[in-house]
Amino acid sequence: MMMKLAGLASVLLCLLLISGGAGGSDHDETVPYLRTGGFNVPVLAGWENQSTDEIAQFHLAEHSATIRTAIVALDDPLAASQAELANWIDAGSVSPVYSGKVNLADGTWHVAIFEPDADISVSIMARRVGERTVVISFIERDESNRILMLTMAQEDESQRRAHTELVAATDLLMSPLAGEHGRVSEIKLSSGAWALYPGAGHTRMGMVFGNDSFLALAKGPIGVKLATLADAYFTVLLGFFITPDNSGYLALGLAAAFVTLGLLVFSYFWRARSLDQDAALIRHLARADD
Amino acid sequence: MPKHVELDASPQPTLLRALTLLTGLGFLATLYLGLFVAGTDIQQGEIQRIFYIHMPSFFGAFTAFGATVVGGMLYLARKQAAWDRIALAGAEVGLAFALINLLTGAVWARPIWNTWWTWDPRLTSAAVMCLIYAAYLMLRAGIDDSNQKRNFMSVYGIFAFVSVLTTLFIIRIVPETIHPVIVGASPQNAQGSFEATSGVFMALAPSMLLWLTLMPATLIWHRYRLETRREALERLKFQALGD
Repeated sequence: MMMKLAGLASVLLCLLLISGGAGGSDHDETVPYLRTGGFNVPVLAGWENQSTDEIAQFHLAEHSATIRTAIVALDDPLAASQAELANWIDAGSVSPVYSGKVNLADGTWHVAIFEPDADISVSIMARRVGERTVVISFIERDESNRILMLTMAQEDESQRRAHTELVAATDLLMSPLAGEHGRVSEIKLSSGAWALYPGAGHTRMGMVFGNDSFLALAKGPIGVKLATLADAYFTVLLGFFITPDNSGYLALGLAAAFVTLGLLVFSYFWRARSLDQDAALIRHLARADD
Repeated sequence: MPKHVELDASPQPTLLRALTLLTGLGFLATLYLGLFVAGTDIQQGEIQRIFYIHMPSFFGAFTAFGATVVGGMLYLARKQAAWDRIALAGAEVGLAFALINLLTGAVWARPIWNTWWTWDPRLTSAAVMCLIYAAYLMLRAGIDDSNQKRNFMSVYGIFAFVSVLTTLFIIRIVPETIHPVIVGASPQNAQGSFEATSGVFMALAPSMLLWLTLMPATLIWHRYRLETRREALERLKFQALGD
């Protein structure tokens, strides 16, 4: 009897699975992710993966660029950024040439740009996570190309191409080059739709996402290179997430299941025991009656 | 007072003992697969492992409530008390499994949906299903006449299964749900869905098999024997009172 019931249930389940499967899946393509150091970042295709158990690091030798993600055991984002910077330069404490804050969907990120030497520029975004700080750095070692990445809150919502923020950032960080730009073109990258502002002495790229403007600035006409690097850095920034530690909820869920199942099984023993006691009482009464 | 007091307390059949052992071992094995062999979902974290109990427990309830339907139908057709006992055992075991499904779902929802409970179509229909079967047990306890009780509860048990089917299919019918579908495309509003990869199926398949077949079969059989003994004792009590 039980086997028939189980068979019937299995047939119904198979029918359900088949009918569900016929609808197809919308998630056929999976973005490759790297899980390390308690966080996750997208894997950058074409970049050399130099990651370890603690950090995620991708290097593109062709453009002398490195993108590094690490969680630093400091709760001050600027201090954490400087601690990460120490991996790239020998000097002591270096002040950023630009620092600011921006609110993204996953929290407040601190933006800092360091230029300790003529041949290296480091763009960092850092976010405090509990007592630690996640730091995502873009390191570029090419004296001829000064490339900076940053994010600013969108000031003028009518500017879909982040032009206002690009002008502000250029004035601030590349003032001699501010102002002129060539024909604006729009390019679609995996991180989103970017506006590319080519210029004789510089190249700028901007993308609006939510209430924020993502910016990439470069010295010299290096559109393709800048697009590659900006796409990679912001792909990591936007794709970064920390796997939540909710093992306590798992324990609670398991406890709920065990207690419910345990109560059912215990009630069987308890009721069987009660039946035995009742039967013993009736036997006792029957003997007393005799 | 009856002169010969005999209560059916026959030893467990070998098959039931073997089934109980197999179910216990299977439960531990599937737990091990779900907790230690299946990979951690990188977006949801460890809580996703509750899936290996959450979904199979619903299908275990499905099997048990199915036994209530079959038991009820056969009782109405043949008027043999054994079928009514199977129906009762199915309702009790099914309710326990459905509660496990509901509780683990609530615990899963807290970190993923940021709430223990929401009046989503799937959650609401599951809660209504539990209430319907809880009412089955309460109503049954409230009817004294055995034949009237068995007839009424057989019909009730058959119609109550509509709530099981509603719970099963509602997320494929009502698009305004945040409950994801595991096989096939999830509704647009679904939150907390994940890839049903081969690793997931490797841990899920044995668990589904266990909860669909062995667990309900074993528990229903034990509950059936308990009810048989209870009815025998009831007869003895009446007999004693009659004397």
